[in-house]
Amino acid sequence: MKETLETINQMQADGVIGKYAIGGAVGATFYIEPAATVDLDVFVMLPAAASHTLISLSPIYEYLKAKGGREESEYIVLGDWPVQFLVPSDALEIEAIAQAVPIEVDGARTWVMSPEHLAAIALRTDRPKDHIRIIQFISQGALDRDKLNTLLLRYGLIEKWKHFESRFLEGTRG
Amino acid sequence: MRSKLAALSFTEKIKILEKLRDRDKAIAAAGLRRKPEAQSAKKTVEKN
Repeated sequence: MKETLETINQMQADGVIGKYAIGGAVGATFYIEPAATVDLDVFVMLPAAASHTLISLSPIYEYLKAKGGREESEYIVLGDWPVQFLVPSDALEIEAIAQAVPIEVDGARTWVMSPEHLAAIALRTDRPKDHIRIIQFISQGALDRDKLNTLLLRYGLIEKWKHFESRFLEGTRG
Repeated sequence: MRSKLAALSFTEKIKILEKLRDRDKAIAAAGLRRKPEAQSAKKTVEKN
């Protein structure tokens, strides 16, 4: 993982990407118990994204292939981790990158999305594994409910949360 | 057990993730080796 993160950090220092944050299962693992995953999800801001309507990840792939990265379907393998680079699809994901938490892994500096942003994104993505992740966040006391409520309100996810609560959480609170 | 796992350092958790990932890869590879058996079952069904 150290090698993977150092390569991404170098890519950032070289101006290929702007701010980035780890999301998905690896990001969630910072706050809760480890959950099996095959890849590392990295959400990136692209330096020129604001001035282009068509966003391309080609500069990232070209840069990383020149550094020894290997393409494997939707991933590029850096060190021993398949990495999926994702451009934020909306304001919630942009905010999740902007407010990511700085951490260190094996001496490599990186950023991980806040638990509330990870939970809000999981709620919106709405797959069975996302439901499990949200329940783990709650059961392990990883969420600040005020912060989460603010996000749910700001991004129009209140109804979805109520539906999630009635489906998965009713009867679990004493 | 779950709270103990959650309390580990991120570096330690990443090591666990890497083991889980490698185990999944091994299981996936083993699954591919069972394919001929599945194909022979299909042929049996087709004969019937």
